[in-house]
Amino acid sequence: MVRLITHNLLACHAKGCTSNNFPLQFKDVQVELREAEFNPDFLRGFIPRLEWGALVDAARQLGDTSLPAEPPEMLDVEFLQKLHHVLLEVHVEEGAMICPNCNHVYPISNGIPNMLLAEHEIG
Amino acid sequence: MPAVQAVTVSTDPQVYEDEHVHSVYDEIAPHFSSTRYKPWPIIAQFLSSLPTGWVGLDSGTGNGKYLPLPQDRPGSVWTIGLDRSRNLLEIAQNAGDIRREVVWGNVLERPWRAGSFDYAISIATIHHLSTPARRKLATQRIIESISPYHGRALIYVWAVEQDELSKRNLPADSSPNNKATDRAPAKGQDVFVPWVLSPQATGKTRAKNAASQNAEETAERSKVFNRYYHMFAQGELRQLVGEAALELGLVVSSPNEMKDGNGDSLIHGLEIVQDGWERSNYYIEIRRWECIS
Ligand SMILES: [Zn+2]
Repeated sequence: MVRLITHNLLACHAKGCTSNNFPLQFKDVQVELREAEFNPDFLRGFIPRLEWGALVDAARQLGDTSLPAEPPEMLDVEFLQKLHHVLLEVHVEEGAMICPNCNHVYPISNGIPNMLLAEHEIG
Repeated sequence: MPAVQAVTVSTDPQVYEDEHVHSVYDEIAPHFSSTRYKPWPIIAQFLSSLPTGWVGLDSGTGNGKYLPLPQDRPGSVWTIGLDRSRNLLEIAQNAGDIRREVVWGNVLERPWRAGSFDYAISIATIHHLSTPARRKLATQRIIESISPYHGRALIYVWAVEQDELSKRNLPADSSPNNKATDRAPAKGQDVFVPWVLSPQATGKTRAKNAASQNAEETAERSKVFNRYYHMFAQGELRQLVGEAALELGLVVSSPNEMKDGNGDSLIHGLEIVQDGWERSNYYIEIRRWECIS
């Protein structure tokens, strides 16, 4: 699956591509929504690890504009539920992710991102 | 069970591993998966000890059997599975009957932001790499993937020293002197471990993994797949991790031993928290740290 929890970690690793290689940009995506168990304690612990701007931007690319530009100081349940949905319930099943720096294309098929590089692309 | 057989890695390691590791796992994926379900105790303990909210990498996740852990607090951490075998990932994707996050990739590469994971596990994976340089690179990728401030990792590899329960016949100490390991004092052994895929076996797994099996396969006779393993000698894993860390510019020690400086230098280090042998495997647990000394 490429949910946004994973997308927030992925970066381009093609040879020589070491700056501006995150976040990858979605292209031609098919999205499926699936319910997942809500775990507010996990989310509270996880928030400081997020690249927040990248998450908000990626969610907008997938048509979800529910997140604020900055994480709120008060982590109330309403906010955590929105975050939960964006991070863990939106599945990109098909499409691709493109490196903003070198335009390398990482395809997504059946929910699995292909992050393998060809031999000549490995740094 | 057929005997384990000593081998010498001769061709290009990438080509060699494609033939003797990756294509084998792609072929045997459903059968292999049906035999892999019980987590080893030290791995379960490690995953249970993680703080809620941590995100981790399972480098070489296979069928994803560790993705649902910890059992006592499911969902308290998120483990993302990486593997080279697409067919195993299709299984890992639904490990524990919940959708998991899996990524098709190479343990020798790092398709992540550096230091973005809180923890990593690498279970029964590094021993499939066929040269010391590649085993070290995979170890470095794990170290680089976890946080430089608090990242923790657990690595498991197959040991030369096997327990009685493993039912495997090992070759008598006939290990050919592998050129590549000549410099190292702790020498492992390069072997083929056969995987027998019988018609009954494929039939059995067909019920569970109907989508990935077909009638033609079950009609075939037993097939033997030889998987390449580097069996680690005592001390070899610890040495591998130490060398990998030093090359990345890390001090290999406990941060407590670093308190005597002038307070003007920033030190990045890696502590070996524990290492040992469990059920025919060597394991090592590490922790990254930063301190001012
Ligand atoms: Zn790039």
